[in-house]
Amino acid sequence: MKRLKLKSMLVAAIAIAFCLIAIASYAQANKTLTLATSPDYPPYEFKDTAVSGNEIIGFDIDIAKYITKKLGYELKVIGMDFNGLIPALQAGRADFVMAGMTPTAERKKNVNFSDLYYEAQNTIVANKGSNLTKAEDLAGKKVGVQLGSIQQEAVKKMAGVQLAPLNRIPDIIQEIKSNRLAAGVIEDTVATGYAAANPDLEFNTIPNTEASGSAIAFGKGSRLVPEFNRVLQQMKASGQIKELANKWFSRPIPQEPAQGTQPAAASKFGLDFGKILPSLPYILSGIWVTLTFTLLSAFLGFLWGIVLSLFKISSIKPLFWFATAYTSIFRGTPLILQLTLVYFATPQLTGYNISALQAGVITFFLNSGAYISETIRAGIQAVDKGQKEAAESLGVPYKLMMGDIILPQALKNILPALVNESIALLKDSALVSVIGVEDLLRRATIVGAEKYIYFEPLIFVGAIYYLMVLSLTWGANVLERRLQSSS
Amino acid sequence: MYSNADSKVAVKVDRLYKSFGNLKVLREITTEIHKGEVIAIIGPSGCGKSTFLRCLNLLEIPTSGKIYIDGVDITLPKADIMKIRQKVGMVFQHFHLFPHMTVLQNVIYAPVKVKQVAKEEARLKGLELLEKVGLSDKAEVYPSKLSGGQKQRVAIARCLAMEPDILLMDEPTSALDPEMVKEVLDVMKALTKTGITMAIVTHEMGFAREVAHRILFLDGGKVAEDVPPQEFFSNPKCDRAKQFLEKML
Repeated sequence: MKRLKLKSMLVAAIAIAFCLIAIASYAQANKTLTLATSPDYPPYEFKDTAVSGNEIIGFDIDIAKYITKKLGYELKVIGMDFNGLIPALQAGRADFVMAGMTPTAERKKNVNFSDLYYEAQNTIVANKGSNLTKAEDLAGKKVGVQLGSIQQEAVKKMAGVQLAPLNRIPDIIQEIKSNRLAAGVIEDTVATGYAAANPDLEFNTIPNTEASGSAIAFGKGSRLVPEFNRVLQQMKASGQIKELANKWFSRPIPQEPAQGTQPAAASKFGLDFGKILPSLPYILSGIWVTLTFTLLSAFLGFLWGIVLSLFKISSIKPLFWFATAYTSIFRGTPLILQLTLVYFATPQLTGYNISALQAGVITFFLNSGAYISETIRAGIQAVDKGQKEAAESLGVPYKLMMGDIILPQALKNILPALVNESIALLKDSALVSVIGVEDLLRRATIVGAEKYIYFEPLIFVGAIYYLMVLSLTWGANVLERRLQSSS
Repeated sequence: MYSNADSKVAVKVDRLYKSFGNLKVLREITTEIHKGEVIAIIGPSGCGKSTFLRCLNLLEIPTSGKIYIDGVDITLPKADIMKIRQKVGMVFQHFHLFPHMTVLQNVIYAPVKVKQVAKEEARLKGLELLEKVGLSDKAEVYPSKLSGGQKQRVAIARCLAMEPDILLMDEPTSALDPEMVKEVLDVMKALTKTGITMAIVTHEMGFAREVAHRILFLDGGKVAEDVPPQEFFSNPKCDRAKQFLEKML
């Protein structure tokens, strides 16, 4: 009976894995162009989670839609971290990138660029009254920029400035507010939104030292470049670009309390959860993503852990060596590194365009399998040796002995440890947000970027994580008590 | 593969050696156990009694020497250990019941899973065996609810459920409280009358004297005496046996 159950569970797991793969490859229709972008950069690209839900919108997206339509392609937009965009092009994961990206010499080595479609200026952001208005004022100060952005290059050239590259614009704003950064340099179009949302900050545009516009990036040797350039030319000539710029860059910002009605100090520290209210459904649906991800990884990791633990107690030396080396490597390197490698290297190595969720599940189950296998091995070895001898003396073959006699006893003993591993997995699942899986954390940061707020969404999803961990612990306690009473 | 021994021999042991690292536990044991014979293996602690018994169903792998069960050499690499073990049951000092199974499940697990006996048939047979050992009322109970004596009787029933030709018992009463020894010995006594071949490592001298056909006295990993019980207990030949009996009786 039990054996049958285990088998059918395994079959189900494999079926799920295949479905995931099938769904992903189905989306690879030929006439579709994939646009990769980093949707935390309003008004270029972001999510209006209250209005358009999960859809990525913005200035860049509108241009991309127009061009692809003109050229007769379907458009698919995927979101990821800004730093992952160029690797995504190189890995063939995306056909083009629009992310307010400026064609620097460094980037040109790795990708091809279209003509500039929009030119922006840099703006210094600082706390009111800090008197940092010109490039020269920044000398000797710690200045935040977005990692890998054109502003990073620009600030690098300013004499005596201490450069602090951060992943996202909202991080920079927050660091300025908490006085860990003296100032930040961001694009003026982006700054507009933050200016309206942050009355305690001041924004001063600095003159361009060199061309710093945005262009569309393509993989090296892409045949799309001339086609795109042709349409861009038409759009510029017909005033289409200007129209879109007006639409997006003068867009009303999500409403703020009128200036002056609140003392500055209060607005600096007070939290306003009302702002995330409209995006609540969007954030909450992240629970499902996080849970699916965690359960799938935990389940597959558990099965893989059993296999590895059996290898470890096996008398067949190569299996033992494999499992030991495997565990050593997976426990000895950072999970986030494994995750990025699996996500970005898989397409290059296998040609299979692995989705972020798949990459996440695969990495997490491979990783947690390593940890779980140690736990299970210890659990197996803690089972009285006499159990093995009793089974052997009855002529019970190894497989049956393990499945029916040793493992059930081992698993019962290590149940608390397995729950801990699942809890760790649930919390670690937040790491997948770096490759763009829209789990709870990612959704919180997206909403934060869109609403120009920082703490509220994070605290909110923090509470959700905590509740999920509590209920997992509670469920495990019930299970444990029931198992205990059965013997 | 077959020895030239006659069909009356259940177990034949030929120059059996066993060492654990540098420790030589068994040094050249040669003996035979006839079908239906009950032998008691006794001797001072550390003499190799248990190791000898555990070699007979290959829980310990002999360092050298031959063991024939029903004429089949079980020390050959190609010997089907699992098949052999089905014919050679073993009862342990510490019972080793499966704690996550009920008493009845313990008894019928191997017949159903290993011998593919139909479940209902195995259940009836199991209940019958439990009745024989006086525990039919405990069929649905988990082992943790049983006393030591009851556990050992279940272990015996579990062993018999596989219908072994040979029964090995490794100090079956040594872990029991004194008042429970008798109930287990009674079950064992009843078994000796069924004609099953038995090899029992024991410290129960009275029991050995009463039911054994032969006494195998081991000393220093060798067979020091191999005689009928009357002779052994009334007139031990070697000094070591004399000393041993003085202490035990």
